[in-house]
Amino acid sequence: MWRFLGGRIAMGALTIFVTTIAVTLLIHLVPGDPVQIMYAQSQGTTPEQLEEIRRNLGLDQPIPIQYLHFMERLFHGDLGYTIRGHQPVLDVIMQRLPNTVALAVAAMAVAILIGLPIGFFAAYKRGTFIDTGLMVVAITGVSIPHFWLGLVLLFFFAVELGWLPVSGTGPLNIVLPAVTLGLSNAAIVARMTRSSMMDVMRQDFVRTAEAKGLPKAVVLYRHVLRAGLVPVITMMGLQFAFMMGGAIVVENIFAWNGVGRMAVEAIFQRDYPVIQGFILTFAVVVVCVSILLDAVYALVDPRIRRA
Amino acid sequence: MTMRLGKTTKILAAAAAIGLSGTMAAQARDIVWARYGDIDTLDPHRATSTLSLQVWSLIYDTLLATDATGAPVPNLAKSWTSNDEGTEYTFLLQDGVKCHDGSPLDANDVKYTIDRAFDDANPSVTKASWGPITGVEVVDPLTVKLTLESPFVALVPFLADSFSSIICDTNGEGFGTTAAIGSGPWKLESWTKGDKIVLKRNPDYVNFGKLAENKGAPYMDGLTISVVPEPQARLAALKTGEVDIAEPPFDDVAALKESGELDIVVAENTGQNVFWEFAAHRPPFNDKRARLAVGYATDPAMAIDLIYGDLSIPEACPVSRGVFGNDQEFCLKYRPNYDPEKAKALLAELGYGPDKPLETAMLVWTGGNRQKLAEIFQAQLAEVGIKADIEMMDIGTMNARVRQENENAEGKGSMDMMTWSWYDPDILYALWHSPGAYRGYTTPELDAMLEKTRVLTDPEARKAAVQEVFKVLLEEGVHIPLYTPGWEWVFAVRPEVQGFKVAPFVYPNFNDVKIGES
Repeated sequence: MWRFLGGRIAMGALTIFVTTIAVTLLIHLVPGDPVQIMYAQSQGTTPEQLEEIRRNLGLDQPIPIQYLHFMERLFHGDLGYTIRGHQPVLDVIMQRLPNTVALAVAAMAVAILIGLPIGFFAAYKRGTFIDTGLMVVAITGVSIPHFWLGLVLLFFFAVELGWLPVSGTGPLNIVLPAVTLGLSNAAIVARMTRSSMMDVMRQDFVRTAEAKGLPKAVVLYRHVLRAGLVPVITMMGLQFAFMMGGAIVVENIFAWNGVGRMAVEAIFQRDYPVIQGFILTFAVVVVCVSILLDAVYALVDPRIRRA
Repeated sequence: MTMRLGKTTKILAAAAAIGLSGTMAAQARDIVWARYGDIDTLDPHRATSTLSLQVWSLIYDTLLATDATGAPVPNLAKSWTSNDEGTEYTFLLQDGVKCHDGSPLDANDVKYTIDRAFDDANPSVTKASWGPITGVEVVDPLTVKLTLESPFVALVPFLADSFSSIICDTNGEGFGTTAAIGSGPWKLESWTKGDKIVLKRNPDYVNFGKLAENKGAPYMDGLTISVVPEPQARLAALKTGEVDIAEPPFDDVAALKESGELDIVVAENTGQNVFWEFAAHRPPFNDKRARLAVGYATDPAMAIDLIYGDLSIPEACPVSRGVFGNDQEFCLKYRPNYDPEKAKALLAELGYGPDKPLETAMLVWTGGNRQKLAEIFQAQLAEVGIKADIEMMDIGTMNARVRQENENAEGKGSMDMMTWSWYDPDILYALWHSPGAYRGYTTPELDAMLEKTRVLTDPEARKAAVQEVFKVLLEEGVHIPLYTPGWEWVFAVRPEVQGFKVAPFVYPNFNDVKIGES
C-alpha cells in the first residue's frame, strides 16, 4: 500500500514539474506581450522606454532563464509578482482560492443531493416512463448552458423575488452560483448513477440477492448502489478537480471572486506570473485529488493496490 | 428532532437578519459603484489601466485638475510658473492640506512622489510621461521646483491626471496592496482583490480644483467599488438597489432611457479616439490614395448612430474632444469625409474596379458591440469595391498583429480599427514618430513636426504645431478618426442618487453625490 502511494506521489510530482515547463513555454507562444498590452490604448511611451520596462520586469531574458528564475523563487515559496500592478502572485491566488473551494464544495453537494436520488430512482423504475422522463430532465440539465440558467435564476430569485443578492462573494451570495453549477452536475451524477447501477444489476451477486427474496429497494440500496458508486465517485472527483480550475462562466455572472475569472483576465493581459501561478496551483489540486481517489480505491479494492 | 429543527431555523433566521441589516445599512450610508473589473494596484506607479486610474483619483489628489473642457487648472498647486525655455516649473502649494494619516501634505510629499517615480531600481511604469525631469527641489514647505533636461510641455496636463497622484511620504509597508495614504476625498478602508474596494469619506478633504460643486468633504459616508463583470448582472443589481451606479449593457441603454427607471450619464471629453490605420509599407495601403479611399468610403456618423445611438459622436481629429488642439472645423477641412464617388474614383485610378475589388483584412478589437459596427463599415466599403474581411481579436493580440502587419513586406492589405486615449496630443508622438508604436507610417518631416509639439511652451504656437501634425495625418490618410468615446463611458444611475458626475478622461466624481429616499 505505501509503495503504491509512494509511486503515485512521485508520479504526481513529475506531472506538476512537467506542467510548469509546458506552461512557461506555451504562454510565450501566444501573440502579444504584457508590456505592450499594458501601454496599449494610452500612454505616450516610446519603444525604447517599453524596452526599459521589459528589462525591469525581467521579460528581456531568454525563456529558459525566466523559467529558472521562476523555479528558484518557487523553492523559496515565492510565486513572484504580477506584471500589472506588482502584487504578490501568491496573495492574488490565495485571496480567491477559498472562494473557489467553497463554490466547488457547495456545487458538489447540490449535485449529489439532487443527482443521486434521481439516478437511483430512475434505476429503480428502469424501463418505465418515469425512468425516461427523469433521463429527459437529466439530459436537458446537462445541455442547458450555465450562462442561460444562471441569468434565469438570477432574475427570478434575486430580481423578481428579492430573496438572494445579485452578485458578490459572501455566505448568501454562494446559493445561486452553487445551484447553477450544481444543477448541471446533478444531471451528470444522475445519469452516471443510473447507468452504473444498471451495469451492476446484471451481475450474479445481484441475482443471488434477489433470489434470497430481498425486496427490490433493499437490493438496489444495499448491494447495487454501493458497488455502482465507484465510477460515480471517480467522475465526481474529476468534476470537482475541474471546478477547482474555476467555473468561469458562473463566476462571471454572479461576480463570484474565484480563481477562474482571475486566470482568464491574466491570460488576456499576458500576465505570465499569474498564469504560471494559477496553472501550478491547479496542477497541484488535480494531482492531489487523483492521488486521494487512488488511495480510496486501493483501500476499497485490493486488486488495485496489488496491480 | 423538532427541537433541533427549531434551533436551525432560528439560526438561519438570525443569519438572514444579519445579512439583511448589513445590506440595508450599506444602502443608507454608502454609495455602491459596480464596474466590470478590478484595479491592478493602489500604487499609482505600478499600473496603467483606466480601472486603476479611476480609483486612484478618489484616494489621491493631484497638483492640477482638469476643467469641464479638459484643460488643466490649479488644484493642490494654487499656481505655477515656468521659465521661458520651459525647463523649470515652480509650483506653489495650498496651505493646510492633510494626508489621510493626519500628516500635512507639503512640498516634501511632491518630491517623495516624483523621486519615487524616477527611482533607478524600480521606476514608475509611467516614468516617461513625467518627461525628462532631472531634479525636484523643495524651495520651502509650500514651494516645489522641477528641473527638466529639455522642454516637455505635456508635463502640465500630466500633472492633472491621476498617473501623477501625490503619494504622502508617510506611506511604507504594504503600500499599494493593503495601504494607500493620499489626500483625496476618500480614504482606503480595504481592498479585496477581484471583489471590492471599500472607501470611507475623508472629513478633512478640501476641493480646490476638481470638477464638483462641493468644496468640502463628500456628503456620503462611504463608497464601495465592486467588481461585477457580467453586464446583465450589473443591470440586475441596479434594479434591486444592490448597486447605485454601474455601466449597463449597451443594448439596454435605449430602453432604460425610455422607461426612466435609471438615469443615464454619458461621460464627455473622454479623450478616447477610434480610428482607421493601415499597414503602410506594402500594397495596397502604401499608396495614400488607397488609404484615402477607405476614408471616403466610410460614414462613421451613420454607423455609430445605428449601433450606439447618441452615446457616441463622430470625431474628426486624431486626438479627441477634450484634448489640446482638438478643433472639429479645422480637422473636417482635411479629413477624407464620406464621399463614395471620390472613393470609387481613387480606386479606379489605382486599377481597382467592380471586377477587381481591393482586398484587405480589417482587424477589430472584440467587445463593446464593435463587431456590429465593423459589419456596417464592411458593407460601406463593399459599396465602393473594397472587400474587407473582418477579423475580431482581443486587444493584446491585435496590438501584436498590427505591428506584425507593418513589419511584413508581403501579404494582402491590412487595416485596423484602433483605439487610443490620452490627455495630451503627445500621444501622436508615440504613435507616429519613428519607429512608431506599431512600426507604421513615419517620415523624417513628420518626426520633426512631432518633436516641435513637445517643446513649444507658448500655447498658441504649440496649437499651430499640433494642428500641422493633424493636417498631415489626415491628408495622407494615416490616422483617419472615426468616433469618440470608444469604450467605458456610459453609466446608469439609480434615480435616488443625485449629483453623480464624470470629469473629462472618464474620472467619475462622487463628491456631490447624495442619496435620497428611493
